[in-house]
Amino acid sequence: MSKVYILGGAQTDFERNWTKEGKGMVALLKEAVADGLEGAGLTFDDIKKLNEDNRVSCFVGNFIAEKYVNQGHLGAFLTEVNPAFYGVPSARYEAACASSSVAIDAAATKIRADEYDVCIVVGWELMKTVESRVGGDFLGRAAYYEKEGKGIDLPFPKLFGKLADETLKKYPELDEKRYMDALAKISVINYSNAKRNPLAQTRKWFMSYEQASTRDTDTNPLVGGKLGVSDCSQVTDGAAVVVLASETFIKERKIEGKPIIKGYGHRTAPMLFEKKMEDNQRSDYTLPWTRKACVDAYKRANLTVDDIDFFETHDCFTSSEYAAISAFGITEPGKEYEAIESGRIAFDGDKPINPSGGLIGCGHPVGASGARMLLDLYKQVTGTANGYQIKGAKNGMMLNIGGSATTNYVFIVGTL
Amino acid sequence: MVNIQTVTVIGVTGTMGANIAGIFASFGNAKVYCVGRDIEKVKKTIPRIVQSVKADSIAKNLVPADFSTLEDCVKQSDLVFESSKEDIAIKTEIAKRVGAVLQPHAISGTGSSGLSITKIADCYPEELKSHFFGIHMFNPPYTLPLCELTPTKYSDSKLKSELEVYLKDALRRTVVEVKDSPAFLGNRIGFQFINEALQYAEKYKDNGGIDYIDALLGSFTGRAMAPLTTSDFVGLDVHKAIVDNIYVNTYDYAHETFVLPEFAEQLVADGKLGRKSGGGLYQLVKYENGLKRQTVYDINTGLYRDVIPYAFPFADKMKRRIAEGDYAYAFERLVNNHSQEAEICLSFLLKYIVYSLYATEEVGYSIEAADDVMATGFNWCPPLAMYQALSTVAEVPVLIKERLPEICEKIDVDHFLADVKPSKYDYRIYFKSGRKNK
Repeated sequence: MSKVYILGGAQTDFERNWTKEGKGMVALLKEAVADGLEGAGLTFDDIKKLNEDNRVSCFVGNFIAEKYVNQGHLGAFLTEVNPAFYGVPSARYEAACASSSVAIDAAATKIRADEYDVCIVVGWELMKTVESRVGGDFLGRAAYYEKEGKGIDLPFPKLFGKLADETLKKYPELDEKRYMDALAKISVINYSNAKRNPLAQTRKWFMSYEQASTRDTDTNPLVGGKLGVSDCSQVTDGAAVVVLASETFIKERKIEGKPIIKGYGHRTAPMLFEKKMEDNQRSDYTLPWTRKACVDAYKRANLTVDDIDFFETHDCFTSSEYAAISAFGITEPGKEYEAIESGRIAFDGDKPINPSGGLIGCGHPVGASGARMLLDLYKQVTGTANGYQIKGAKNGMMLNIGGSATTNYVFIVGTL
Repeated sequence: MVNIQTVTVIGVTGTMGANIAGIFASFGNAKVYCVGRDIEKVKKTIPRIVQSVKADSIAKNLVPADFSTLEDCVKQSDLVFESSKEDIAIKTEIAKRVGAVLQPHAISGTGSSGLSITKIADCYPEELKSHFFGIHMFNPPYTLPLCELTPTKYSDSKLKSELEVYLKDALRRTVVEVKDSPAFLGNRIGFQFINEALQYAEKYKDNGGIDYIDALLGSFTGRAMAPLTTSDFVGLDVHKAIVDNIYVNTYDYAHETFVLPEFAEQLVADGKLGRKSGGGLYQLVKYENGLKRQTVYDINTGLYRDVIPYAFPFADKMKRRIAEGDYAYAFERLVNNHSQEAEICLSFLLKYIVYSLYATEEVGYSIEAADDVMATGFNWCPPLAMYQALSTVAEVPVLIKERLPEICEKIDVDHFLADVKPSKYDYRIYFKSGRKNK
C-alpha cells in the first residue's frame, strides 16, 4: 500500500462574490485548478503526460450545484478548464457539507491501492447565486428534507440551535450562561483568527466578545433557538484544490518535505436529528459518531490527541465546534468550556482550533470546506501558512461534517 | 502601540465623520466623543454609526456632544480626529481650539482629503505641532481599509510609527505613508483617471458623451464602478474640489487633465452634483408606481435622456471571456481590436499605469504604495496588477510607447517602468463581466 502524500494546492479568496463579478462555475474552476496545480508544483502538461499512462484522476466535491447553478455532471466539467483534462477519469462526490472529504477519501483510496499516482481533489460551491433564504432552503436538503427542511425558514440554524439546547439538557451541571458565553468566545476566536488569513471571507469584519455574547439585537438577531448570527458561518462562494500523490511519484520526481495523510475516520450518524439525540443517550457525547470518527482516525494514525498540534474543525455553528472539542479528545465530554475559558483552543493556546478562521471566519462554501481544511493542514505542517502559521506544527487534524453531524469525516495530516 | 482609550471625532454628522467614529468605537474599542454642530443631529447619527460596522455593541462607546463642550471632550482624549467641512478656514479654526487644550501625550489628526496638512499643523502650539498628522480614509472605511498617513516636517517620527501600528493593528487599516501633497496619492491617481474620462465625455459628446465613456471603461476594465458613475456617486462638488486643488497646486505632465470641463462647471453651479442632490452626471428618475429609470446628462442638449445600451464588439467579447475566467483572451481582444472604443479604453489603462508610477514617486515612498491606494481605497485593479494583467498578452513597455507617444515625449517612461515588480494583488478579482441576473 502506498502512503498518501499531499503535494499542495490552493483556495480561492473566500471574500469574493462570483455572481457580483459576473462569473460562474467555469471561471471559478479555471482559477482554482490553475492555482491549485501551481501550488502543487504541477503543470497542465504534467497532467497530459500522466494521463497518457493513466496515472492521474480527478475527484470533484460539490453539494448541490443542481440547485445553485442549475448544473449536474460536475466531474466532467474539468474538461472545460483545460484540454489537458480530456480523457482524465473524473467524477463528482457528494455528502452535503462533507462532499469534498468524500472526494479526498476516494482519491486517497486510489493512491493507497496504487491505481493512480496523482489525484486532484477539487471542492467547490457557488452559493451567492440566490437570496439567502432560498439558499437556506437548498441547504435543507442536507437534512431529511421532507421532515426537517421543507417549508421551514432557515432549517440548519434551527437544527444547530437544537444541538445547543440538547447540549444543555445532556449536561445539567452546565450553566446556560457559561455555555452561551463559551459559544460567543468560539465565534470571537474564529473571527480574530480570520484576520490573519488573507483569503478569509470575514477578514475585514468587526466582531467582539461584547457583540457575540449579546444576542437578539438588530445586528445580532437570533437565527435558530438560542443562536445568533454571530454563532453562524456565512454564505460563501469558493473553491479549494488539493493534489494527492503516491510514493512512486514522490520518488520519481525526487520531491521532499511533503506531508502524508496519516489516518482518517468516516462514520455516518442517523439522518434525523431527533434520532441522533435518541441515539446519544447511550453515550457521554452529544455526537457519539463524530467522536467515533475521531477515535478511528487516531487509531489508524497510531496517534493520540497529545500528538496533534492544531485542529481545523467544522464550525458551521458555534454549537458544532463546541461538541467537536470533546470529540477530538481535548476535554472530557461536558467539560468543553474549560478548553475555551482557559484559552487552550485560541491561536496561541496548546490546542489551537481553526487557525484559518474556520467556517465562521474563513468562510463555508459547503462543497469546498473539506478540501480547504485539508489544504490548511498541509500549509501548517509544511510551515507555509504565513500570517496564521502555528509554530512548529507537525500534526494536524480536521473534522468535516455533512448535515446535522450526519456524515463525519476526520483526517490527520502530518510530516513523516 | 499608543494606548488610545478615548477619541474625539469632530464633524461626526458627515458621512466620513460618522463612519470613522464607527471604526474607532469598534476595532479600536475606544470611547468616542461624537462632536457636531447640532446635538440633536448628532444623536440621530448614532444609529447610523452603529449600522456602519453592524454592531450594536459599540453604541455604549459613542457619546454625543456639540461644540459647546469641545474643549472638555478634547481634554479627555488620547486622539482627536477632525472631519469637518473641506474648508481651510474652518479647519484652522478648529485646530486652534483643539491645540489650546490637547493633552501633551495626545495625537491630533485631520481627515482632510487634500488640504495642506502643514498649514493646519501650524495652528497648533509649538510643542504640539509634532503630534499632528493627516489621517485620510476612504468611503466607506468598513469595506475600503485604505488610510493615507501624512506626517509633516514637524512630526515626531516615533509617534508616527506608533500611530501607524495603531492604525494597522488595532483599526485594521491598510496604512500608506504619503507626502503632504495636494490630494495625496489615491485621489491624485484616481481623479486623474476620472477627470480625464470626464474630459473625454465632452470630447466625444457626439458619440453619447458621459454614458459612452462609462460604457467603455466599465467594470470589465478592472474596477467596481465606471469612472463617471463614481464621480456622480462622490458628487461633482467633491470632484471639482479635488481636481481644482491638484490643478492649482501641482504641475506635472498630466496637468491639463485636471481641468474640469466647462459643462461640469455649469452642473456644479446649478447644484446638480450627483446622486446626493438628486441628479448630476446621471439622474435616477423614480415614478409613482415604483418604476425607476436611469437617465444621463446629454452634454450636447443639456437635457437628461435614457442611458444608451451600448454594444461595442471588443467590450462584449471581453465580458464574455471574463465571465468564463479566460482573462488572457479578454486582454488579447483589448490589445488587438483597433476600434476607436478599444483604443480609448486601452489608452486609459496604460495612462493609469504610467501616471500611477509617476505619482507614487512624487507623493509616496514606494512603488507598492500606488498599488495599495488603488486596491484598498478605490477597489480598482491596482497599477502593478494591471501591468501584470496586460503582460499576459503583450509587452507593456512596447504598448505604452506605441499608444502613448505624447506622454513618452514628456517623461522618461523607461525610468518609471524600470521599477515595476509583481503585484501582491490578484488582477482577476477586479475584472468583472457585469452582474449575472439572479
